[in-house]
Amino acid sequence: MEEGEQDRNIRILHSGVFSPLRRWGAKWSLWPCHFVTSCCGVELAHAFACGFDGERLGTLNMGISRQANFIIVEGTITRKMARALRIVWEQMPDPKFVNVIGACGQRGGIFWNSYNITRPSEIVPVDFFVPGCPITPESLLRGVRAVQEKIEGKERTTIKFNKVELPSGGELEERTVPTTPKLFAPTPEIKLDVKRSVDWDFGKELKDLLRKGLKGLYESITITDVNRIAIRATQEKFMEVAQRLKDIMKMDHVKNVNVIEVPHERKYVMEYMVSSYSVDELMPVIISLFTEIGREAEPEFPSLTSLWESANYSEREMHDFFGIEYKGNKGMNGKFLLPPEVDTPLRKDFKIEEEQYVFDEEAPITTPIKLPPDLVMPVPEETLEAAEENDEMVACIGPHHPGSGHLRWIMRLKGDAIVEIIPDPGYVHRSMEKLAENRLYIQNVPLFERANISDPFNMNLGYVRTIENALKIEVPERAKYIRTIMAELSRIGAFFYDCGIYSLFMGHSTGFMYAWAIREMILEAVVRMTGSRCTPSFIIPGGIRRDISDYVLDMTDNFTSAVHKRLKKYEDIFIYNPVFVARTKGVGVLTREDAIRCGLVGPFLRASGIDYDIRKVAPYEAYDKFDWEVTTGDAGDCLGRFMGRYEETKQSLSILKQAVDVVKEMPRGAVISEEALGEYKEASRDIKGHLYHAYGNLVLPKGEWTTVTESARGTVLYSIISDGESNVPYRVRIITPCWMNLRGIIEASKGERVADFWAIYGSFGYFPPEADR
Amino acid sequence: MMELINTLISTMMSNQVSIPLAEPILELLRDIPLVGEMIALILWRPIFAALICPGLTVGGILLLFFPWIERKLCGRIQWRVGPHEIVWWLGGLIQILADTLRFLFQEVIVHKDAHKHYFLQFPFLSFIAFLLPLLFIPAGNIVAIESPYAIQIMLALICLFPVFILGLGWASNSRFSFIGTVREAFMYFAYEVSFIIAILAMIVLYGTSDMVSIVDKQSIWGIALNPIAALAFFIAAAMATSRLPFEIAEADQEVAAGPHVEYSGIAFGLIYVMCYEKAYVLSGLMTVLFLGGGSAPYIPVITDLLAPLLGDLWGAMWFVLKTIIVMTTLFVLRTIYPRYRLDQGLSIGWGAMLGLSVIALALSLALVAGGVIVI
Ligand code: SF4
Repeated sequence: MEEGEQDRNIRILHSGVFSPLRRWGAKWSLWPCHFVTSCCGVELAHAFACGFDGERLGTLNMGISRQANFIIVEGTITRKMARALRIVWEQMPDPKFVNVIGACGQRGGIFWNSYNITRPSEIVPVDFFVPGCPITPESLLRGVRAVQEKIEGKERTTIKFNKVELPSGGELEERTVPTTPKLFAPTPEIKLDVKRSVDWDFGKELKDLLRKGLKGLYESITITDVNRIAIRATQEKFMEVAQRLKDIMKMDHVKNVNVIEVPHERKYVMEYMVSSYSVDELMPVIISLFTEIGREAEPEFPSLTSLWESANYSEREMHDFFGIEYKGNKGMNGKFLLPPEVDTPLRKDFKIEEEQYVFDEEAPITTPIKLPPDLVMPVPEETLEAAEENDEMVACIGPHHPGSGHLRWIMRLKGDAIVEIIPDPGYVHRSMEKLAENRLYIQNVPLFERANISDPFNMNLGYVRTIENALKIEVPERAKYIRTIMAELSRIGAFFYDCGIYSLFMGHSTGFMYAWAIREMILEAVVRMTGSRCTPSFIIPGGIRRDISDYVLDMTDNFTSAVHKRLKKYEDIFIYNPVFVARTKGVGVLTREDAIRCGLVGPFLRASGIDYDIRKVAPYEAYDKFDWEVTTGDAGDCLGRFMGRYEETKQSLSILKQAVDVVKEMPRGAVISEEALGEYKEASRDIKGHLYHAYGNLVLPKGEWTTVTESARGTVLYSIISDGESNVPYRVRIITPCWMNLRGIIEASKGERVADFWAIYGSFGYFPPEADR
Repeated sequence: MMELINTLISTMMSNQVSIPLAEPILELLRDIPLVGEMIALILWRPIFAALICPGLTVGGILLLFFPWIERKLCGRIQWRVGPHEIVWWLGGLIQILADTLRFLFQEVIVHKDAHKHYFLQFPFLSFIAFLLPLLFIPAGNIVAIESPYAIQIMLALICLFPVFILGLGWASNSRFSFIGTVREAFMYFAYEVSFIIAILAMIVLYGTSDMVSIVDKQSIWGIALNPIAALAFFIAAAMATSRLPFEIAEADQEVAAGPHVEYSGIAFGLIYVMCYEKAYVLSGLMTVLFLGGGSAPYIPVITDLLAPLLGDLWGAMWFVLKTIIVMTTLFVLRTIYPRYRLDQGLSIGWGAMLGLSVIALALSLALVAGGVIVI
């Protein structure tokens, strides 16, 4: 931010003869520039959808910066996004105003010590902050009102600080100063193949099969858990083992690419998790193949993209994080997720700021963050050259574009056809994996939930299940059912989120409004259950935070029928709209083979004819107790993907109804497993007041713990590596469905028309904060 | 000299808009020197048509309030309220006034790549050019220029619209406006042919292209005589005004408002109302061709009472009312339909619509030849 910028716009309004008219006009015509920067945008959309209708205040959402005069900065501004923010702000005509919403926009919120966070107030002059994580629509509208009043000239300070003298003497002085509760083992032992004795007969067969198939190539094969096998190989034989796994075991896609740095042993552990979509019995099995390489300055490793294309983007990500050069992967020059100025942040010697529990008078609460040095985000040279040679046009869509979401798409166009689309993600990369390594296990529950606040329960559930798996905690029956209810609610909510966005991409604002009206009802149910609209963090290791009341159960029950009614209207206006069908049918087709090759997940995979749903393949919670079906299709086009999810939502509503019926009949009792609580058994019905006592010192047994969960948009994979001593994870890897589906979007768009890109993009329900993590 | 003025005044006096209701006041004012002449001038039919109805004043009022009607109506359909807080007891009626003022006082940015002069001139030029066709539209029996070639001239002027939009896009010189402009050009050719044929069908039917006599001839409304032509005309109007499902050139989510992407401040304000102007002109034309123009239906008591009192304004009022209804229909489309792709829009234009309009023409010829309609 430059000198004198802070109040310049208000000053402009207050000068000149026409000042009263100017002020009046500006006050009632604050058009927010549609600049979605992070997950708070979900609530922003609610504020402008039919539930709250921000247009009442005269604020009409406008996609184009030149015509807007108001930016609502939605939460996190990463370093990469900081440039975009400044550019958009500069593009807007004076006078212009800025509202920052969300805790992230103020001091970083839950991501305060991330390496990729900046503060918007240092980039552009901010007129008003709205706190909350996320903010509620009401408070956002209140923020708009506050700006209106500021324009009018009213001073508006909503918070006043008082300085109080703490009483000296007595009880206070006797308390000891709290120290950091984190325990880091100084030289932890990292082992990925810790044997676990489990009752898994098929696993033994499989192990024998692997032994035979990989004869002489592997170092060890270990069963680490049900459905999990770890294969250790030497670096030389690694490729060969991978090849065999692909040929003999029909392992057709990579679920995860991981690197674990062990600095005190001077090594990197290189890991690939592979699985199979083509063989039914192998679907739940995840084979982790790993090897160790020395910790040199510029480590190299052969890329497996030639075998599995689905590894491509994850390898590039690891290249960013650890600086490992994957030989054979084409994307090794330049950064993918990270801004240019951040190097290898996930190495252990890259330190982020520690939490402080006692403040030094002098020291700032958070260290100032250095801004990116320049404002340009250039397009890769090769792309420009290639386009020039073939007489094509290069268009950059995003990160500020009415139809881009929070990432940049670089399109190479030949006339009206798309030659190639290059994604430039990372605008919402908030370094969750690094932060998780520096927080207690229990502190990571809300952190991972922020990956996707449109589908919070499933994100939450995935992480918690991983911990439960590792600790072998059995969750009480009632809690299981309630968790299922929540997961399904969240799935329905996420579907309608995507519906709304899809409608907008199609230029259909009514569809958006109708879908979000339904979402509003879901959020209402969530609020009554948990007290929070989008970020409840309600599922905790061992169960849920507290039981839910009968009244809320009744409401959820009624709600399932209420949704059906509105669904009918939504169907009429959008789903069966001839124009919509014409736009999506036969567009962006991904065949079964394509889908497997790209490593698609979730409903988008099923739309291409692969019957893979984790809720059926490896049931968790109470999913095996209900009567429901997996929806698959074989068209693989946009309409197929959309309708597949639509049918799935109907199934979800049916699961919801069944679950609610069961819970209503069930006697009340513990909702948190007593095992997990240890000595705080009395909290088993409500964790209130005991959360940190019971979970603060949670330590996972040594090894790698991986679970997959079917979230609304597909498989979310958590892999926690614990050293068995520290109460913080040694490394957490989270692979979200959108990250995997990114490849699908690219593949499906090739050769289609320009306008089809939005049909394809929307059909994948891409949620950038989830993909970037 | 004196003579000239006198002849002028007498010409004016012989062709005055009569409003019996206002007559007493006008009578008083006429006696005041100069004011009297002024009033005579304003009430002179051509001037009245150009300046008041259907010209500038009514047009301006519509431009100021129609977006509000549209936003409110869309709000209703979408289960929400629309602009409201600004004057809550009027339901936010003056919302557009605030928007206009805001645009007026906002900085106009001319970016580095733009062709500065054209960039600034085009919005103003097109604002004026878009009003010109109004001179030929009769509101009741008030019309600025009466001509046996009225429709042809109007068509020529309407066909100029896209040229200005192309100009906007070209002067902006940015990627999205380039794509948007090309899309506009494509769409232009796709609807124009069938648009003209649909109008031709009506000219054949009425046997004249004088707007005033067309209105007179509609003892049965044109829409009942040739509904196919009306449909073709309406779809073409939706394409011409870039309404959904044909909002292809300005697709927000795709090309970020296409030709308009770089405009800010009052320049954008003008472009923003331009699409309402276009809609007004085309709806007016549709009213005249298909909905009986300013001819009023007979409603007992009300007609008896009001028609003699309002005089010429009675017809004008009906014309405006019908036009507003057509415009509203045109704008409500956006809440119902998503957007077609360019190629789909083109194939509708060159396929279905061309077919429709040719059938409409054939129908008209058959009706005339068959003697069903005697001109
Ligand atoms: S984490 Fe997300 S929801 Fe929370 S404040 Fe930041 S942007 Fe908003």
